[in-house]
Amino acid sequence: MTSTTPLRELLWAWFSIGFQSFGGGTATLTMIRRKAVEEHHWLTAQEFTNYWGICQIAPGINLVGITILIGWKVAAARGAILALLGLLLPSVTITIALTAGYTAIRDLPIVQAASRGIIPATCGLGLLLVWRMASPLVELSRSESSASLALSMLTLAGCALLVGVLHAPVIAVLWGAGAVVALAAWARANVAKVQP
Amino acid sequence: MIDPLLYFWEILKASLLSTGGGNIPILHDTLMARGWVTDRQFAEALAIGQISPGPTGLWVICLGYLVDGIRGSLLSLLGITLPPVLVLVVHRVYRSIGHLPATAGFVRGLGLAVAGVFLVVLVNLMISTGVSAATLLIMFGAVGLGLIRRLPVIVIILLAAGAGIALFS
Repeated sequence: MTSTTPLRELLWAWFSIGFQSFGGGTATLTMIRRKAVEEHHWLTAQEFTNYWGICQIAPGINLVGITILIGWKVAAARGAILALLGLLLPSVTITIALTAGYTAIRDLPIVQAASRGIIPATCGLGLLLVWRMASPLVELSRSESSASLALSMLTLAGCALLVGVLHAPVIAVLWGAGAVVALAAWARANVAKVQP
Repeated sequence: MIDPLLYFWEILKASLLSTGGGNIPILHDTLMARGWVTDRQFAEALAIGQISPGPTGLWVICLGYLVDGIRGSLLSLLGITLPPVLVLVVHRVYRSIGHLPATAGFVRGLGLAVAGVFLVVLVNLMISTGVSAATLLIMFGAVGLGLIRRLPVIVIILLAAGAGIALFS
């Protein structure tokens, strides 16, 4: 697209996402979807789902990934940069301001007491995140076979033990687990090919 | 005192070698080992990241600020924004590798591993803040409230702050 209107439209759409997306990842994803698919028709619902799948295997923050992909689809490099700028400028500024504000009052006794309440709550929300990450994967394995379910549970518990008890380096554990489960999936697919 | 270049490299590496929230356990591992971050700072950064707008992954910016002020937050910003650009490359190769069973297997293994290792981070954070009836109550309270889909996270954080003031001051 060469007209300047879509570029301005692009920037504004992402600006409003960056400003309004309080409430974490799911809220942000919902807002991106509404803006990009329903309001501006930059891509179809099917493409959006496909893009989100790609972001799951790309490095870094998935929401930043999908922002770059959608921006690129609308107007190549310029589109990606504007989309990224729109998403990050408001949210990063507010994030830094919030942290700066917090730092200024961090050592007050009342804030320390509050933070002793906030830390366990953050852990609780983290537990939910772990559950939401793991349960679809475990469910999928269960639907395949009991061997697949066993491998998934073993991976989950094994990685926790390797890092928690043996203090193995986290990156090696993450990639090792990916490689092991990839190998198992490859082997299973080959067996299925041999015995249809 | 932190080495800014090395700090940037750790952020970049953790985000390049993981996807989504996978950099949380990696950074907990590497930055704690260097003695640049305390458990309290780590938990605070995660909490602020939960309530600030945009992706939750921006918590790394909070961490950067707590560790090294504005410079740290900007280094974090750079370190977490560069890796996702590779999505353009992944998009290109996705057509040839996306349907392979091994790709799906790798993604599944990575996801399960991140969940398992993240669990260790959470246990460490809980131990560092002190495991007691009060903190466990707040933790499970947050789990319960978090299950209510419509409830904004900031409400949960504010309730937890109130509970902290009531219980610990």
